[in-house]
Amino acid sequence: MKETIYTSQSPLHMPRAFLREVRADLGVVYRIGWQLFVRNLKVQVRQSLLGYAWLLLPPLVTGLVWVLLGRTRVLNVESDSVPYPAFVLAGVFLWQGFVEALGCPLQQLTNAKATLAKVRVPHEAFVTAGAAVVVFNSLLRLGVLLGLMLWFGVPLTGTLALVPLGLAALLLLGLALGWLLALLGLLYADVAQALPVVLNLWFLITPVVYLPPAAFAKWFNLNPVTPLLSTTRNWLLAGPVAPASGFGLVAGLGGIFFLLTWLAYRLAQPHLVARL
Amino acid sequence: MSDTAPVVTVRNLSKKFCTQLRTSLWYGLRDIAAEAWPGAAPAPALRRAEFWSLHDLSFELRQGEALAIIGDNGAGKSTLLKLLNGLIKPDAGSIRLRGRVGALIELGAGLDPVLTGRENIFLRAALLGVGRAEVLPLLPTIIDFTGLDAAIEMPVQFYSSGMVARLAYAVAAHLHPDVLLVDEVLAVGDTDFQRKCIHHMLGYLAAGGSLILVSHQPYHIQAVCQRGLVLEKGRLAFAGTTTEALDYYFSHQAGAGAASELPDRTMPALSEARPVVIEHLALMGPGPVVQSGDDVLVTLTYQALRPVPGAVWGFLIYTGDGSTCITAAYPPEPVVLAAGRNQLICRLRGLPLTAGNYLVKAAIADFEHRHAIALWGWEDAPGRLHVEDAVSATKNSHKILQQLVTVEVEWN
Repeated sequence: MKETIYTSQSPLHMPRAFLREVRADLGVVYRIGWQLFVRNLKVQVRQSLLGYAWLLLPPLVTGLVWVLLGRTRVLNVESDSVPYPAFVLAGVFLWQGFVEALGCPLQQLTNAKATLAKVRVPHEAFVTAGAAVVVFNSLLRLGVLLGLMLWFGVPLTGTLALVPLGLAALLLLGLALGWLLALLGLLYADVAQALPVVLNLWFLITPVVYLPPAAFAKWFNLNPVTPLLSTTRNWLLAGPVAPASGFGLVAGLGGIFFLLTWLAYRLAQPHLVARL
Repeated sequence: MSDTAPVVTVRNLSKKFCTQLRTSLWYGLRDIAAEAWPGAAPAPALRRAEFWSLHDLSFELRQGEALAIIGDNGAGKSTLLKLLNGLIKPDAGSIRLRGRVGALIELGAGLDPVLTGRENIFLRAALLGVGRAEVLPLLPTIIDFTGLDAAIEMPVQFYSSGMVARLAYAVAAHLHPDVLLVDEVLAVGDTDFQRKCIHHMLGYLAAGGSLILVSHQPYHIQAVCQRGLVLEKGRLAFAGTTTEALDYYFSHQAGAGAASELPDRTMPALSEARPVVIEHLALMGPGPVVQSGDDVLVTLTYQALRPVPGAVWGFLIYTGDGSTCITAAYPPEPVVLAAGRNQLICRLRGLPLTAGNYLVKAAIADFEHRHAIALWGWEDAPGRLHVEDAVSATKNSHKILQQLVTVEVEWN
């Protein structure tokens, strides 16, 4: 029979039991993640008239706006050889994926507050289901983007196969920061308040809608999103195959950071629940 | 491990909470930091603005046993269930659990209002760690138990709280946990559903399940549990059989001391405006304490400025909360109050009150017009009457039924 012991000791005192618990919880997450994901999709559309059309509408409208802007030649920004609208859309869609991943843990856990306070469930289940929606939405946007690339005559090359890798690195970095934000944000409401402000600033210092000027490239590369986003966009838009400098480093550190912030959240979990 | 080993073992369990929100958040951050730094010993003492929600609690629960947790609001019952369910962690002491724990702490939690009842069965089971494939064969039983019929296809946001209770209980109860924690959830269901739940709990216990029940309904507690714990301000006040625990709780609960919340009695000075003042009213049995069925001597002590002819005096007995007058008694003939400090006496044969706490008031009035000359216990604290009775199941049934008096009956 399974035995469970609760004491005031930190789980790190018994790392083996801690890891066993993590594994057991992951089993549950695996079983129910899909159900929660389907629920998220259903809940998202059930109270609306247009239903599943809402999944496609936002990226389609964004795409159309840029197509129109491109046609009227309002914008004339330097962007390599790629048509500017395609360049911007690729950047914006990838950035959106990052932002959604970043906000996902805090948002999902805040929504599930009532449940988390009263029912013993692995919190990862909600975050996983939320992350699945983020991936799903990102893939939808990429689909729209591929259509527009055909429209603009951007060649579809073999580097497209590398795009999932870049996207995964980008989302993983977002989730890593997201776990940390959730830990702090479930305690202090300041986090949720400050998040949009910080993200707006971050958007401006990230080469999403522009190419970083060569003179400041070094500074731009201090922003961890820059190498991930530029590289993935290059792979999308038939750019160079070689990743931007720092891509491997950021992707690797992002993965480690993700594990650390996730485990930190697990350690914090009972203290957060006591204050929900 | 043998089967006689306890399913739940709680040792010196303590949990503290903070009364101030901001301070609590700050302590939260510090506690989280301490988790990551295993060298840092958790502070066992209370910090500023903290209090013990649970303090030094120990008990055991064996297979097939049902334990009732009894206590006032804020006594720590829900904290205990949350600790047992692993939602929050102890500040001291330990909990050892064998087997899978199922908990019904708050019914609405974990249900999605937009999804239908049927979809919510799967969702809730999933949250409790049971997959779709395992739920499918149980589905007809669960839906049947809810008694919701066609409403099972309706979004849960249109459910009444009783319907939500039915759904939540049905799911949690049919997943066969080894230990079931139930927190005051039957209260919202109708009588039919309550009966169904009690029936189910008894069957579950007979099948070797273990149960911890928090309830304010003595009937539920007595129907299901063999043992009871009484918590008072986070401490274990009493542990024993259900009957003893309920008896302890009823005789110590706050309602019994309601009289103490009234203003202290102030003896008004004798004056032209108050020519008569009641000093005291005493009810005395033959023994040191008044018992049900005693002959009781009632003594009223008064002071009068001058003799008062044509007066009537009386005493009234109220329920412990002062809301209901159980009986009042006046002599049929007028009396003359003598000047100075004197006593009026009467005898009450075979006190019919059941064990408990009562309030007594007294009055002296004009016999003809019945307007009050002197009052005692109306605007100030009434007198208290404590009636004892031996601990027994009958005594508990009096409490459960809120029975106040027992009348003498001659049976044919």
